[in-house]
Amino acid sequence: MRIQDEILVGEMLVQLNPKQAKLKAELQEYFEGVMTTELKAELNNPNHFEGGGPEFKKAMCTMGADGWIGLSWKKELGGKELSPMEQYIFVETVMRTGFPFPFLTTESVGPMIAEHGSDWAKEEIATKILRGELIFGIGYSEPNSGTDLASLQTKAIKEADGYLINGQKMWTSLANFSDYIWLAARTDFEAKNHKGISMFIVPTDDLGFSMTAINTLGDVRTNATFYDNIRVPDSNLVGELNQGWSLITSQLNLERLALVNHGPVEELYRNVLKLAETTRISGDQYLADLSWVKHNLAQVYAGVEALKLICWKQTSIMQSGQLNMAEASVAKVYGSEFFIEAYRLLMEIMGELSLLKNDSELCVLNAKLERMYRTASILTFGGGTNEVQRDIIAMAGLLMPRTR
Amino acid sequence: MDFSELSHQSEIRDSLDKILVEQCTPEKLKEFDVAFKHDESLLSLLASNGYLGLGVNEEHGGSGENLYDLGILFERLGFHAAPLSLVGCLVDVAQTIQKFSENKAHLNLIGAIVGGEIHTSAILEPLNQEPESPMTRAEINGDQLIISGSKYLSEMASKAKSILISVNSDEGVLLVLVDSNALEISELSTTANSPSFKVDLDAVSIDRSAIIHSRGKGLEALRYLLQINMVMRSYLALGVTEKMTALIASYTSEREQFGRVIGSFQAVSHRAADCFIDLECLRLVNQQAAVNLNTNLDCENDALVSKIWAGNACHRISYSAQHLHGGMGVDKDYVLWRYCLLAKECELINGSASQNIDRLGLNLTANQ
Repeated sequence: MRIQDEILVGEMLVQLNPKQAKLKAELQEYFEGVMTTELKAELNNPNHFEGGGPEFKKAMCTMGADGWIGLSWKKELGGKELSPMEQYIFVETVMRTGFPFPFLTTESVGPMIAEHGSDWAKEEIATKILRGELIFGIGYSEPNSGTDLASLQTKAIKEADGYLINGQKMWTSLANFSDYIWLAARTDFEAKNHKGISMFIVPTDDLGFSMTAINTLGDVRTNATFYDNIRVPDSNLVGELNQGWSLITSQLNLERLALVNHGPVEELYRNVLKLAETTRISGDQYLADLSWVKHNLAQVYAGVEALKLICWKQTSIMQSGQLNMAEASVAKVYGSEFFIEAYRLLMEIMGELSLLKNDSELCVLNAKLERMYRTASILTFGGGTNEVQRDIIAMAGLLMPRTR
Repeated sequence: MDFSELSHQSEIRDSLDKILVEQCTPEKLKEFDVAFKHDESLLSLLASNGYLGLGVNEEHGGSGENLYDLGILFERLGFHAAPLSLVGCLVDVAQTIQKFSENKAHLNLIGAIVGGEIHTSAILEPLNQEPESPMTRAEINGDQLIISGSKYLSEMASKAKSILISVNSDEGVLLVLVDSNALEISELSTTANSPSFKVDLDAVSIDRSAIIHSRGKGLEALRYLLQINMVMRSYLALGVTEKMTALIASYTSEREQFGRVIGSFQAVSHRAADCFIDLECLRLVNQQAAVNLNTNLDCENDALVSKIWAGNACHRISYSAQHLHGGMGVDKDYVLWRYCLLAKECELINGSASQNIDRLGLNLTANQ
């Protein structure tokens, strides 16, 4: 019989290579250090689920100082210029810890400002984002512009030395503790929808800025934000005038992939497995001895495996500089719908116990499941609703006609 | 991490397609719908072009031990609904011997298989849910094994020179290569009209040199056989479902109702998109299992995951394809129906999705 290392192998590798595995281990160790008891306690407080508390701010500055912000940024902009695969591993590791890392600020808005912003924005804003000192809220959606984002109506009118902004945004998450809003506004009213949009940096301490809280099913706070005669100087415009749409869409694929990263659900699976194996139900029988519990675990495992591979493959496509629209949408649809199924299957294992919210001895993990299932629906419509993603799959993947 | 195919792999796919498009025309396939479903001339053509040596070490006349290459062959055979049943021969016999045999006579068989000779396996037993513990038994009497039992769903057994049989014995599981003349072989009629047989052994006596592996390695060899069998059947399933999805896309892009092509209705395109998603998942879990089995002879969970996805994808895509084609889907003058039968075969042989979920669940919770 031949032994393993004599078998000829192609260069294809469907697992992390040694360098990637090392990075993952390093990051794991680092983030275990970041997640102090105080920070964990703060993040369990519903007001701080998404960050914004003092411990969170402290952790962000530490990460900034240690060089863990700006991984995707080009080196000349002060970033680490990590490859898409390394970025994926970073997102995976951070998400597994449960730290609400503000990826949109640091990895989407940040590099756009660093690359396309005015001198002021580059020096003042980009640098502080890298240091972990600034958080942005994303001002895209409006009451009448969701999936059809390009129809947005918030206005920015050119004045002598700046712009006058008026309008309303919806679902402006993090606005309650962010320093700025990354705002999409209409600057050309004659042009076709997506050709008249520009991007602005809007300070939340402006007197014309206000908000009301929107409390959601998952106890995640989001906001309606209002922009009443806010004046910003020309230097707050990012990119060319009327070219905002390309900035909005430039990182959509990376953003979508980050939304369905397999790390958190795999972590949850492992924790429920461990719990099922150690929870005695009667005599010497454990939860994991029940055949239907095994089935549920296996269903989740088989689903996570597929999600992991979809994400890895999509990342390695990006790594080689290509873009596959259909597969990015496959990741988004499959991932977001699988999460819902996985939470259900895992909650079934804990049964009624999954309904308990308080962190008693019985439900250290369940409390997490209890919250996860309430937030699960956001991803099927957010980040590009799944109907539109399926349209893309049919058109780009199967070359079927455009749907209406 | 690297998912991309090497250039020789894309070439295998393209050149195989060229041959199979020519050989598996609807007219030709129609002939095999009623005849014994085995295209001897296609088999010779594949042999003379070296395709039966995919996944086989160069020393046996193959193109290198890479299960991903072999997966391409089964994917394309499935895609073209080729009238060939080769999993028993190329996978069960050739691959298992290649990895587990030190016996020159057995190893020589691999070269013969690469050249187009048929050998096959008889592993599955009616109602035995655990193929790892065969009910077929061998009594060991000195250097003789006396084997009794029944096997079924043995591919091509009537044409095979020898048949690899799994048995239980006082020495544990054994894989034994038996001359087919010593066996009672009767044809079964199955859903996809595949050449499938029942193999009966009534105190068949053979020399123990027929055991293909070294002492004590029988269970390991059988586990390996069952795993690569699952993965290669999943590759067949990938080809079958890929074709059905392609048929959905092309048919619904042409068929008009209410003055427009039906593929422009979201209800239709979204069901097609769901098939595409299942297909992508199946492709990736197959790739993982094939690549990992290249370096590790025991990747049961990866193999189970691929067969689970194969079972689910076969079922879902088959019925989506039938539904979206309307009456055309079940019309035997159109091509789809043949794939629907093959899909059911791929779904159920060597473990259904539910059965494998059960198995996977046992494995995952085995640590307590």
